[in-house]
Amino acid sequence: MKNYTATIRKALLAAMVLCSSDVFAQVTATGTINATLTNKNGIALVFESDPVGVTLGAPLTSAATLNFGTISAFGPLASGVTRPSVTAANFTVRTVFDVQVIQGGLTSTTYTLRANLASALPAGFSFKIDGITLVNGPSNIQTNAAYNVNVPHNLDLTVLTAASGAGGPAVNTPLTTVINFQASAN
Amino acid sequence: MYLTPVSPIGFAVRKSRKRMLRGSMQGEGKFAGARLWVALFWLLPMLTLPARAQAASAQLNITLSVQSSITLVFNNNPSVGTPGFCPLSNAGTSNVGLDLGSAAFPGNTNVTCGNYTHLTASFYQVSSAFDVLVTKSNSSSPSYRLEAQISSAPPQGVIWLIDNITLSNTAFSPLNTASNYGQPLTKTLQVQVRNNVPAQILQETITFLATAN
Repeated sequence: MKNYTATIRKALLAAMVLCSSDVFAQVTATGTINATLTNKNGIALVFESDPVGVTLGAPLTSAATLNFGTISAFGPLASGVTRPSVTAANFTVRTVFDVQVIQGGLTSTTYTLRANLASALPAGFSFKIDGITLVNGPSNIQTNAAYNVNVPHNLDLTVLTAASGAGGPAVNTPLTTVINFQASAN
Repeated sequence: MYLTPVSPIGFAVRKSRKRMLRGSMQGEGKFAGARLWVALFWLLPMLTLPARAQAASAQLNITLSVQSSITLVFNNNPSVGTPGFCPLSNAGTSNVGLDLGSAAFPGNTNVTCGNYTHLTASFYQVSSAFDVLVTKSNSSSPSYRLEAQISSAPPQGVIWLIDNITLSNTAFSPLNTASNYGQPLTKTLQVQVRNNVPAQILQETITFLATAN
């Protein structure tokens, strides 16, 4: 029995030694995050309806639609469409649309706007933007346009008055054409 | 703003040169040449990239439909000012005025431009000619027909005519059946008045209707 008591005392002593502050020290961990953000420069072009032009479909996007409606040399026109000229050979209908170009990260203060026809036009049509005839290759529309503001542009569609089959356009047939635009930072 | 391909490459080469010089000073010259080659190896793909402008593209999709149309305007006849050719007000449009002046059965004392005649013992007539021009667009129609109608029933004893065709306020009266587009068509408005018609202003709005054949 005496031997057991001594053994127990030794065990308790050993336990007290082991239960020092190191044993109950708080367990911690550290970590770091190396965060990076690459701020790139960018430029975007969107279309917007002009107050005096036709109302665009999908405005404030870069893929808008513009519907002249039914046009004729002498008949009524849709709201926002005007007819600046009628001659024996052709007539012109006009609407106005806005282009807004925004940019970030560039030192550029102005941009150049170019436009081109996506494909050949149907017979009897020609398009002009601000007096510039559109072709399949890019044409400069504006060389020093300001960013972040709606810039109005006249879209003129000249139609031959000849009958369909005699050089004029097809009548009473929906016609579609696509105009590509490109804004390049100066 | 165009990215010049020389700028980043030049920067990298300069950086490699600095490292090479620094390495030489630190006794690492034998590695500096290798570093330069490594740098050039990484920059090689950049040389193959084209210098590209910052640009945005967009598409505008245009839709429309062309319709055939014709128009009718009234013009002064080249003989305007001579008897029988009163001037139109607002000529060249589709809404004009024609003042024949004043007339009375006993005589034409106040008819300045119209042509005054006594038709019978009880009727006089004042007439004036003008031109009608019909134009077509985007149409294969070879000709048009022309009709006219007065706006209200005239007083008893008054007859309105165009080229001797009596006009009615209940239906259009055919004037021409196949007239050519783009060519002036001279029409004569006649007002015939019986001698027992009380003094008054005789007024009508005459609507002309051109229809493509």
